[in-house]
Amino acid sequence: MNNNKSILSFLSRIWHGYSFVIVFFVICIVYALSSRGLTWNATMNILRHSAIIGIIALGMGMVCITAEIDLSVGSMLALVSGMSVMVFNVTDSITLTFLFAILFGSFCGLINGVLVGIIKMPSFIVTLATMLIFRSFAQWICQNVDKQLIGGGSSVYRMISKNEMYDTMYHFGNTKLCTLPIVGIVLVVFTILCVYLLDDTKYGKKVYATGSSIKGAFMSGINTSLIKTSVFVITGALVGLASFLWISMNASSDPATTGVSYEMYAIAAVVLGGISMAGGKGKCLGILFGALSYTVIDKIIIALKMDSLINDAVKGIILIIVILIQVAGPQIRERIHLMKLRSNK
Amino acid sequence: MPLLQMQGICKSFNGISVLDNVSLQVKTGEVHALLGENGAGKSTLMNILTGSLRRDKGSIVFNGEHIEDNSIKQTEEKGIAFVHQELNLFNDLKVFENIFINKELTGFLGHLRKRDMISQCKELFLKLNVNIDPNVYVSSLKTSEKQLLEISKALFFKAKLLILDEPTTSLNQDEVAHLFEIVNALKKDGISFIFISHKMPEIFEYADSYTIFRNGQYIDSGAIKDTSPLEVTSKMVGKEQNNLNIYKKRDLGEVVLELDHLSGMGFNEVSFKARRGEIIGMTGLQGCGSSEVMQCIFGINPKISGDIRVKGKSIFIDSIHKAMRNGIALLPANRKENSVIPDLSILENMYIAEHTLSASKFHIQKDLELKRYQKQKNALSIKAQDPKMSILSLSGGNQQKVFIARWLNTNADILLFDNPNQGIDVGAKAEIYKLILDLAKSGKTILVNTLEIPELQKVADLCLVFFKGKVVKVLEHDEIDEHKIMMYSTNSMS
Repeated sequence: MNNNKSILSFLSRIWHGYSFVIVFFVICIVYALSSRGLTWNATMNILRHSAIIGIIALGMGMVCITAEIDLSVGSMLALVSGMSVMVFNVTDSITLTFLFAILFGSFCGLINGVLVGIIKMPSFIVTLATMLIFRSFAQWICQNVDKQLIGGGSSVYRMISKNEMYDTMYHFGNTKLCTLPIVGIVLVVFTILCVYLLDDTKYGKKVYATGSSIKGAFMSGINTSLIKTSVFVITGALVGLASFLWISMNASSDPATTGVSYEMYAIAAVVLGGISMAGGKGKCLGILFGALSYTVIDKIIIALKMDSLINDAVKGIILIIVILIQVAGPQIRERIHLMKLRSNK
Repeated sequence: MPLLQMQGICKSFNGISVLDNVSLQVKTGEVHALLGENGAGKSTLMNILTGSLRRDKGSIVFNGEHIEDNSIKQTEEKGIAFVHQELNLFNDLKVFENIFINKELTGFLGHLRKRDMISQCKELFLKLNVNIDPNVYVSSLKTSEKQLLEISKALFFKAKLLILDEPTTSLNQDEVAHLFEIVNALKKDGISFIFISHKMPEIFEYADSYTIFRNGQYIDSGAIKDTSPLEVTSKMVGKEQNNLNIYKKRDLGEVVLELDHLSGMGFNEVSFKARRGEIIGMTGLQGCGSSEVMQCIFGINPKISGDIRVKGKSIFIDSIHKAMRNGIALLPANRKENSVIPDLSILENMYIAEHTLSASKFHIQKDLELKRYQKQKNALSIKAQDPKMSILSLSGGNQQKVFIARWLNTNADILLFDNPNQGIDVGAKAEIYKLILDLAKSGKTILVNTLEIPELQKVADLCLVFFKGKVVKVLEHDEIDEHKIMMYSTNSMS
């Protein structure tokens, strides 16, 4: 009996701190059952397909920890990847393309950051506006620029395959290193970097403090405007990185469809990862698992040969269930505790 | 037959008992003081009474009626009203809308009968001798008026028992007197009050009877006229309170902080010099500008004219960070809002200010911090189990000590304490003042802004009395006297 109790309390502690791992494993088990065994290749594919969303969600997670939100990441992905394709087509240089993607992404993030952090406009509205602006620019530029620049097509940014570095670039996005997809490695490396940044550096503590109590953080000498601006810039840089991965994986970017709804998927990954939208709470590691869980759900739907249009409904329902357990769990526990106390007397 | 009889109430959170078999009895038409240190269980008991918490065990009889688990709304209907410390009013609604919130008078198709509501409101205010216009927005009211509005609201809906949770913390003496004039008039109509306060003089002036809790247990109750402040305090603390004079004259060093005709938002032409090891008290009525002086020195509000000199050098402070780099620290008033970072642990809360000073060293040396944490914990006698626990797991006094440590960690020489004892219980208060004296002895320059003059008498070498943004009087330690300060701070000394 006593033993039982300690196991229960141990489980509840695990659930509290690492619910994202449990959610991930449950989903993986369902996947394993539905697709007749989980092969190594299939697992690695999960990692590969999570890379873009995962990297964007890392930035989104930081923004959420400061109690803000960034709705513009999906459109930013479309704009930055489109521009990066043009840079690649002109320069035929991977280094320059990479640098451009990161810097241009940071610049887009800086616009959000300055408006939210320094001018103190509500982030929901600011990033809603930039979401419209970025995508519109991506599509407009694509239509109105010299066709040579976008690889000869009409409404899609395409990397010119005659470029010398084309093969190297495409190879980078689609090859594996010792059976591990390179883009997946990039995701894991950046997750580790973010975990370090938030857990073990002074900057990370300031990010948590700003989201937890902006007044308290300010009175402790933290420049809260700068912290808020900086997380948007970091998010922009990560979107830049994701854009680079995107074009190296696909060799093209369609401004009308690239990154559509990605802000919502990123937020979902963040929430599945146990980060509170109210700010101040949550672990960066959770985001990796949140993003992976999301990809696995995709795979389950394919494995079960369900209509792919039902995909988002399933994801939405799972999201609600997870949050329901997280929110309602403590309330139910207290009710049971009280009932026990009463019945003892 | 008493109006309220609570008996054998037990309540525990996560297996930790916070109320252990406590009782409370309130008669009709009396002011009953509920006394105890923070964490004694007063608020928990009141929350059980109003229905926002469920009791584990025990019985409540109110007005001859057994009360089972109720919702907050049901207890309100029975006639129990809770006037919270942080007032539960809607700032963006008008006064009459606040009174009628959720109980609006409506006509055809839910049309609001505003004129009727306003006239009923006026009638009520007239009866209570409250001078508030029902048609203004609550945000434009003073704190004391909001307090009266909350009480009026409760009375309008025929409350028989009002719980006043530290109603006087942000009121000046005149406002307190006015509040209790109204309370006394209502007592005659048979309305009872439970009065929660940490201020002994008020309790002995206005309450009729008392109940004392300590550590979640019932200690004593009786009539106020049969006891004394000393007896009550010792029962609350559990030991004879150390009331000895802890002040000792110290040797002062060179001038560390000098204000030269400094003017800023809310204050004018303030000049004084503070030496190494000196404690300067600042006092005055609410809004007298003393708090604003501190905020200006710390770089929160800009100065308009004048000079701030630190160690002889004139500096222009335009941000908190600049102030911190010049060795200035501010322990702000209103701990809950300005100091607590709720999602960070005790350790993280203690180091967050130091982190902003040493941001160039990116990596946090956790081992080093833990070692220094132990040292601070012993030096300030912080009662905490695990540095990784949430800051919210500590009592108010211990939280405040963590925040003092937060600023000591920045190696500041000039410590500004703005109302350091707000919402802290008697035992911890004494400890904090002893700590302030020790810090001065170790060579820090300290400014203390407080409304509690007995506390200033214990520590201050010098006391600046503010009135309407100006220093009207400087008193030496021996001259500090409650009566004198009151005269100066109301400018009634001519």
